[in-house]
Amino acid sequence: MKNTNQLKRIISKFFVYVLLIIFAIFMMGPFLWLLSVSLMPGKNIFAFPPAILPTFIDFKNYLEVWEYMDFLKYIWNTVIITFLGVTLSLLFSALTAYPLAIFKFKGRNFIFLLLVSTMIIPAAAGLVVNYLTINSMGLINTFTGVVLPTLVSVFNVFLFRQAFMGIPTDIRDSGKMDGASEFRIWGQLMMPMIKPAVAVVGLFEFMANWNSFLWPIIVLNTEKYPLASALSFLNGQFSYNFGWIAAGTVISVLPIIFVFLFTQKYYMEGISGAVKG
Amino acid sequence: MGKKRTVGFSRFSEVQTAWLFMAPGLLLLALFTFWPIIFSLPLAFTNYSVIGETSFVGLDNFKRAFSDVDFIASIKNSLLYMIIVPFIQIISILMAILVNQKIAGIKFFRTAYYIPVVTSMVAVAIIWGWLMSSNGVLNYLLMSVGLLDEKINWLSDKDTALWALMFITLWKGLGYYMMIYLAGLQAVPTDCIEAAKIDGASNFQIIRKIILPLLKPYIFFCTLISLMAAIRVFDEVFVLTSGGPGNATLTSSVYIYQQGFEQFEFGYSSALGLIVSFIIMFFSIFIFVFNKKGGVNPY
Repeated sequence: MKNTNQLKRIISKFFVYVLLIIFAIFMMGPFLWLLSVSLMPGKNIFAFPPAILPTFIDFKNYLEVWEYMDFLKYIWNTVIITFLGVTLSLLFSALTAYPLAIFKFKGRNFIFLLLVSTMIIPAAAGLVVNYLTINSMGLINTFTGVVLPTLVSVFNVFLFRQAFMGIPTDIRDSGKMDGASEFRIWGQLMMPMIKPAVAVVGLFEFMANWNSFLWPIIVLNTEKYPLASALSFLNGQFSYNFGWIAAGTVISVLPIIFVFLFTQKYYMEGISGAVKG
Repeated sequence: MGKKRTVGFSRFSEVQTAWLFMAPGLLLLALFTFWPIIFSLPLAFTNYSVIGETSFVGLDNFKRAFSDVDFIASIKNSLLYMIIVPFIQIISILMAILVNQKIAGIKFFRTAYYIPVVTSMVAVAIIWGWLMSSNGVLNYLLMSVGLLDEKINWLSDKDTALWALMFITLWKGLGYYMMIYLAGLQAVPTDCIEAAKIDGASNFQIIRKIILPLLKPYIFFCTLISLMAAIRVFDEVFVLTSGGPGNATLTSSVYIYQQGFEQFEFGYSSALGLIVSFIIMFFSIFIFVFNKKGGVNPY
């Protein structure tokens, strides 16, 4: 009886691993192949049967595309855009969400409803008007012009409001007893208590800013492009030079994967905290 | 602590403080979210464009939209795109159940499944564009296992292009929804499942009778989010096919973009945006009502 149970457990574990590996190949396979293409200089990926595994490894594509594209400039552009986007949107979204969760004032529910109702507008619909606005503010070809329209997302306000609502009211009261201003209560008492939500919003914003390509293309000139926009530009220019594009794609993908690997612990905690609310 | 009085909000009443807190956020929202909505209303009734004088044209843009073959095709494609929503839920729940187990190497698998989510759509589009070309790896694999007789150029064949894009959207999004479901699963009390196991429940029974009902609020949340994303889909279509071949993959967002930024017909583009907003509004009200009836709040 014991033996059959153990056997059963081993079989089911084996089955689980098989499924896990199948999904892993499905999700990661395309990236591994990209890596393989980037390491095969001079190979035509459209030869049939296609080259899947490299027969030799060579970093020539990386050296050449790095020289041609000035990746450091694009990475730097991306870093600035992402830094501005993440810090300011955390600040503004958390400030906006706080009274909506904690305070009692006239019009609170109306504002909240107004915010939620904007989630139904298709993104492309606002693009034209936002372009005109940024243009009239004289912010074309500036990083400010890129980040400004994305700074407050209703979704983030929503998540922060949810997190603030989970904090017991005595905490604010005790802060008040000690004579702290509302701003201090928010910054020193409340914000540390919603760290998981901050982590989630921060990472979502990081991804959104790091990967954004359309709005930057509209607002910026090529030399100010972030990575993703530069990559789509490279893809358009050198559609025949697969090795270069593959290497460029790998270079553009690596930083964000690293950031994710180092922060995923907080991220996972945060997601469960934020969705549970 | 608290001896040093910070200058500022203590002088204000609660209502004033609330508005002070919200001011920067609301100002930005007013400028970049509400203003486009308000401004595109009158714009939709004009022929505003880069060239020529702007004049009021009444309902002309709307009349034009409803006889515009491309626009109607784009709406159809956007609606068709929603087919992926249930598939996303089923596969990502399955993935979440798989990675919710405490076994060696599980962190690796979670990360592997999530990496498509963090990658830019441009990179994803480049990879899949190659994989799906007629001499690409996908055809090679399908043909070598005998599932396919002849090469298909997945993204430029008008019969397969939209489906190929839907597949890429699904593939890229799975990890995101898996993570939300994983969060939901970790909230399921383990003793509940242990007790069921002792009572001799099969895995299938546990999933159907315990896990799925407890995941219900998460399923609503994910369905809503993925439905909105499907109707608003833009990036992958824009990068991979720009709506072609013909209008086979033209989605409404791409068409609105093309009219605005390629044809510079701002008035017409605004009118199209309004129509699509109404369609999305219809679906979200539908889901909210459906959600209310289920009695579960996604948050």
